[in-house]
Amino acid sequence: MSEETKVKYEKPIPLKTLDNTPYWDAADRHELALQKCNTCNAYNHPPGPSCASCGSVDVIWENQGSVIQGKVYSYVVSYRPFLPGFQNDIPLVIAVVELDHLPEVKIIGNILNGNAENVTIGSAVNMVWEDVTEDRAVPQWVLA
Amino acid sequence: MSTIRNKYAIVGVGESKRSKNSGVTPLHLALDAARAAIADAGMDAKDIDAFMSYSEHDSCTPHQVATYLGVRPGVVKEIIGGGSSTELLIADAVGLIETGQAKTVLIYRAMNGRSGMRMGGGGWSTDLLQSAFDGGSFIIPYGAGSPGQWFGLFATRHMHLNGLTQEHLGHVCTSFYEHAQRNPNAFFYGKPLTMEEYMKTAHLSSPFTKHDFCLESDEANAIIVTSAERAKDCKSTPVHIMGMAARQSVSHAHYWKNVDEVASDYVAPELYKAAGITPEDIDVASIYDCFSWVVLRQLEAYGLAPKGEVGDFVAAGNLRLNGKLPTNTAGGMLSEGYTHGMNNVLEIVRQVRHEYAGTNRQVENCEIGICTGWAGPDIAGAMVLSK
Ligand SMILES: [Zn+2]
Repeated sequence: MSEETKVKYEKPIPLKTLDNTPYWDAADRHELALQKCNTCNAYNHPPGPSCASCGSVDVIWENQGSVIQGKVYSYVVSYRPFLPGFQNDIPLVIAVVELDHLPEVKIIGNILNGNAENVTIGSAVNMVWEDVTEDRAVPQWVLA
Repeated sequence: MSTIRNKYAIVGVGESKRSKNSGVTPLHLALDAARAAIADAGMDAKDIDAFMSYSEHDSCTPHQVATYLGVRPGVVKEIIGGGSSTELLIADAVGLIETGQAKTVLIYRAMNGRSGMRMGGGGWSTDLLQSAFDGGSFIIPYGAGSPGQWFGLFATRHMHLNGLTQEHLGHVCTSFYEHAQRNPNAFFYGKPLTMEEYMKTAHLSSPFTKHDFCLESDEANAIIVTSAERAKDCKSTPVHIMGMAARQSVSHAHYWKNVDEVASDYVAPELYKAAGITPEDIDVASIYDCFSWVVLRQLEAYGLAPKGEVGDFVAAGNLRLNGKLPTNTAGGMLSEGYTHGMNNVLEIVRQVRHEYAGTNRQVENCEIGICTGWAGPDIAGAMVLSK
């Protein structure tokens, strides 16, 4: 990553917490990891201290790899930065994406090459990883 | 809940001055609203033996309000909560009175919502926001920091699946703004909104324009709840609680894998069962309106308009004063003021009392009113009121 990119990234960087660190560690490696419940087999996203479907504490992390495809489940296009750091990202597309291989999982992200005209519910998207610092990366979406 | 039907009543309502910059603390506003509600009920402050409030770390405590009214009550209770909290605290008040822990309860919401801490965001540390919301690390880095964006994700899909259009949102806005033109205390009094103007207004965040967002204001509202028996001694016309219900549904408050259901869907059947009525019995409504779409979604959830026909229902003018269901008749949070839902509760009480009789604001012959609260898609509360 260039010096210029590092200086420019003003948006919030995901905070690693007790419950989500494996997700963001995987993102830093450009992979998707999901929390899965061994009791009811539900995938939990966002992850938590126990399964949000059944309450079980028997949860594990499962690597989904780096080829992640999905469909736009819903989205908004924001024309004003509602948070600091997004002033250069307007209009900002925020989408909820349903994973093709695990439709029960929906992952929110920006559609980096999308706008109000070419994004719609059902649009096919691929996960990409945006390197935001030397050692951090953020999962994002691009129109397929 | 049916055992409490009509056993409890709202006997006092009051508000502080509403402004963009109160110049005073939320405590001053709360005291003004409390005194107004106490006067409305024809009570003395010492008749109140429980004080309750909700906030998002932006208000004063019930302990303080009681103190500066010169009262030492039995119960003070403060909760952190969103826009269904008025209904939830009224349910708590009923529980306290029913179990003999209190006789008369004052509930308030006080906030410098415009000049102080703004619900719409701004000035927050993004790290703090990531920690404050469950799943915050999965939305804040993507710029989703405003309720307008969160609820917009529900709205886009719901509108797509149900054939709702921008114009349907516009009917909610123009109907409420029309009500505000009869309410000199409304923020947008003297500022009518035509559909033509609405349709020309740009999105702040799709599908919402500035008109679809509720406004922000400095104000306090207060409500007094007591037993139907004690209500007979009050100066005001008591408004009885026919039934109440509340519910959490969606798993996460700030992350959504299913935007096709909201808590209101689950509250509705419980509410009608408790009140012993059907949606057809309702004459007037206060529907939580942090955003225009939230009204459409709740009209559907509460069976006030047929599912799939909500757009036609509002387009036919049914939210207007002479429509089938005059709604948010003081202008609602879209155009009257924003007290995190409580101003809509005050208005439904006044309509059901027929307090506006003889003016152009009264919904003629209204007997039964519904009031809904929405703390988000995940938590809802509602009540049915009658004279
Ligand atoms: Zn489970």
